[in-house]
Amino acid sequence: MTDPARTNLDLTRRRFLQGTALTGAAAFLAACGTSGTSATPNAGAPSAAAPSPGASDAPQVEEPSPTPIDKTVAAELQFANWPLYIDTDDDDSTKHKTLEDFTAEYGTVVKYSEVINDNNEFFGTIKAPLEAGQPTGWDLVVLTQWMAARIIRLGWAEKFDLTDMPTYTVTLEDVYRGPDFDANNEYHAPWQAGMTGLGFDRKVTGDLTSSNSLWDPKWAGRVTYLTEMRDAVGLTLWNLGYNPLTVTTEQFDEAVAKMQSAVDDGIVRAFTGNEYAEDLVAGNVVLAMSWSGDIIQKQLEKGSLRFVIPDEGGVLWYDNMLVPLGSPNLYTAELFIDFVYRPEIAAQIAAWVNYIVPVKGAKAELAKIDEDLAKNPLIFPPPEMLAKVRPFKSLSEEEEVYMNDQFSTLIGV
Amino acid sequence: MTATAASPAGGRSARPMKDRIRRFLDRYLLGLYAILAIGYLLLPVAVIALFSFNDPVGRSNLVWNGFTVQYWMDPFGVPGLGDAVLVSIRIALLSTLISAALGTLIALALVRYQFRASGSANLLIFLPMATPEIVLGASLLTMFVAISRPPFFPLNELTILIAHIMFNISFVVVTVRARLSGLDRHLEEAAMDLGATELVTFWKITFPLILPGIVAASLLAFSLSIDDFVITNFTAGRTVTFPMFVWGAARIGIPVQVNVIGTAIFVIAVGLVALSVIFQRRRERPA
Amino acid sequence: MGSFLHRHRSAIPYLLLAPGLLWLVLFYVYPSFQMLITSFWSGTLETGFTFSLSNWTTYPEALERYSTQFGRSILYSATATLLTLLIAYPLAYAIAFRGGRYKNLMLFLVVAPFFTSFLLRTISWKIILGDDGLVLGPIKDLGFLDPGFRVLATPIAVISGITYNFLPFMTLPIYVSLEKMDRRLTEAAEDLYAGPWRPGGTIAGAIGGGIVGALMGFSFDFSLLPAIATGAIVGGVGGTLFLNEAFVRVTLPLSLPGVFAGSLLVLIPAMGDYVNATLLGNPSTNMIGNVIQSRFLTNADYPTASALSFMLMIGILAVVAVYARALGTENLTAGRGA
Repeated sequence: MTDPARTNLDLTRRRFLQGTALTGAAAFLAACGTSGTSATPNAGAPSAAAPSPGASDAPQVEEPSPTPIDKTVAAELQFANWPLYIDTDDDDSTKHKTLEDFTAEYGTVVKYSEVINDNNEFFGTIKAPLEAGQPTGWDLVVLTQWMAARIIRLGWAEKFDLTDMPTYTVTLEDVYRGPDFDANNEYHAPWQAGMTGLGFDRKVTGDLTSSNSLWDPKWAGRVTYLTEMRDAVGLTLWNLGYNPLTVTTEQFDEAVAKMQSAVDDGIVRAFTGNEYAEDLVAGNVVLAMSWSGDIIQKQLEKGSLRFVIPDEGGVLWYDNMLVPLGSPNLYTAELFIDFVYRPEIAAQIAAWVNYIVPVKGAKAELAKIDEDLAKNPLIFPPPEMLAKVRPFKSLSEEEEVYMNDQFSTLIGV
Repeated sequence: MTATAASPAGGRSARPMKDRIRRFLDRYLLGLYAILAIGYLLLPVAVIALFSFNDPVGRSNLVWNGFTVQYWMDPFGVPGLGDAVLVSIRIALLSTLISAALGTLIALALVRYQFRASGSANLLIFLPMATPEIVLGASLLTMFVAISRPPFFPLNELTILIAHIMFNISFVVVTVRARLSGLDRHLEEAAMDLGATELVTFWKITFPLILPGIVAASLLAFSLSIDDFVITNFTAGRTVTFPMFVWGAARIGIPVQVNVIGTAIFVIAVGLVALSVIFQRRRERPA
Repeated sequence: MGSFLHRHRSAIPYLLLAPGLLWLVLFYVYPSFQMLITSFWSGTLETGFTFSLSNWTTYPEALERYSTQFGRSILYSATATLLTLLIAYPLAYAIAFRGGRYKNLMLFLVVAPFFTSFLLRTISWKIILGDDGLVLGPIKDLGFLDPGFRVLATPIAVISGITYNFLPFMTLPIYVSLEKMDRRLTEAAEDLYAGPWRPGGTIAGAIGGGIVGALMGFSFDFSLLPAIATGAIVGGVGGTLFLNEAFVRVTLPLSLPGVFAGSLLVLIPAMGDYVNATLLGNPSTNMIGNVIQSRFLTNADYPTASALSFMLMIGILAVVAVYARALGTENLTAGRGA
């Protein structure tokens, strides 16, 4: 597997307000007499920062004393995720076996909301409360690695107590361990990894293989690009012969210009988040920049949909579970993360969503469910497929601001 | 409509023909046009209702697949939908109540009294109606953000309620004022001559007479509030109202239940209006 | 209590006004003021915002960067307003003068769509106008249209959406002013000016049609000359057939207050709309509302968003003021007996 994106470790100032809010929440819970927390935290008490269990020799980071987590299992867990990202019952799209299994074991009802369509858009909804030091209302969210990195950098993610997560610490695939932005994997846990490529309706377009189709006037008005800057630009960079992992500003500008010409020529119908999947089924769109697992899931509704990594190259990414700062149910969230890292559960999810599984042993479990699935190239990409995909370069503040700015102009907002 | 007209010179037989065609067109063309236009207005409503009986293949309720009433049997089967509807209704009721009260008071002041600040008051009432919703929502958002350190004002149901009351007041004022200014002052003056105080006059005479206006204004405010999307979008934070639920669902496929709820609201509203008309007619009959 | 009120008569109006006006001051005036302040902030949500008067540059920068979307909002709103006027006026006329005992029913039916969610109605159009949907699907199957043809995700769809959504707002005020008209005037007019308006009807129709054609051509990206020509021809024919002198000389001028009110009721919300553009449009149909929404909610770029919002507000107020003066109708704000 490839290296996960390396980002700059640039932990900015910690906000004591957030620390106080967290402390306050913990104190409140303690006062309710529900927990057996060892110490009642004082606001801002500068006790010696105990190194978290399982910490490596990574440089100690400045932070206020970690507040002991309240170890009660919550009645509800608010889980925000992308659409088409968890195993779903065939007949009733509101039932998810994995969530029901979790409830059966721990009693917690998981309130699952498929509200994330785009990283920036979702971040926009939680930015304000995070900045003001208020709870976001979510216990668990799933965001792509670069956004996860940003949130962790800003100090807006809760830290796990890894002793609560024995399975996770063992079964996490090695390739995801120790990224720059989270050396001990205690702020994020990979959910699925995936690849960006082409999704199309082969009944209309035939079998496409090249990203040149994205600029083909034959499909004008029925093509969508992604609002995910790294994916859209990434595919375009490959098309121009550049590697997204080593993109320069000039190459970026060229890619944006190329996409702008597609917009001006009326080829691009829309820049979408996850909405392209619906449009493909409805027939309004025949070719879309797509995420690997989505198309397969939509084949249920429209059998002629296909997904390919373009010959020129695709983009690799992985999405991560994070607990936003201020969540009162950190412990339950940890339990959930640990739960989905059990190989049999991971296999259960992967069998449905068809994304790349970050869990060791899932392949064997998957083979038990379905031999063919264990050989599914989307879930376990063979080397030749992996050779064609690269993650997008991890960007500096400056680059990110510039690129986001240019991209916003491209999509017209 | 008299048909006597100074007509242009022409053959005797040609004139009535032209006039007849003209009158035919006049009478029926307009009627036909009206029917077409109203049909155009109601077409999307019909489609919404139609697709509430659809049995879609997957999640996208965009293509007709088969008739079923199962979703009518289970309209709140989608998680979050029931809560969203409840939130919408709650906010609509509260905002209607409060804005009706505040607005009626203002209307009374503006119509019944002469005072110096009436021009500015009128201006202040008028301005929110002349401001696009997005500006109303955006400005409220900036205010809530600005005063949110230290965290006083999380965006939630309360902020939505505040916004709804704000924009409803103007509409209530305009509606009640129209009713009020059409009222005969003599009734009130007579009451006062007979010794009633201001308060009693208001309560026993004015209020019952303007009640239809207040009711109309309340209905208007209620429907504006329950369907509001733009302003709510800016001030909702994480709260989900019914329109916001629809907006979110539009991305990943609107569940059939949403169509069911939408159609149900329509039918209930139409039913209420029909009932009130019948009730009105029945009241007026023994006269 | 009664006598207290009686003695302080002059205070009563202020007491009555106080709660409501206070609410408006707190939640309309102050936020508008705050929005102005916010537009002078600089920074980001993560690094914090600071106020500084030198940030006035946000305004020209925002204006320059988003001038296309601003222009588009104006263009689309104007076109939609004209289209609504064209559709609504005959409808209102039909109800007022031909409605008879069905008047109230027809009015009710005009307003009825508002009893469903406006989002659902717009999405409904998405279904109806879908590329392979209820309307285009069968036509394409019959071979009358190229399979690549589409209505959705074009300016046509967006403007049609706006027109549809605000049609009742135009119909009702026009209806009210037509209804209020003294029928004796119209009858007298009929007697005096019986007959079609020649050649004024043709000319006015042609000019009006040409203008509408131009606007539509411009908005829909059709080539201008054919659009204007078609508009002029259709307008000319329509004017000849339907404009009679009585109508033009008497009814029309008397209905102008309704036209004015209706146009404002459509123009103002249309300028700030973004829902139609999002659901029915494409990246090249984004209006300023889309930008403001994105800047506020997705990017938390409060300064730019506030500046744009403020400019939009001032722009609209200016339009309202100019429009009021041009049409010479009585001051909207002094609405005794509206």
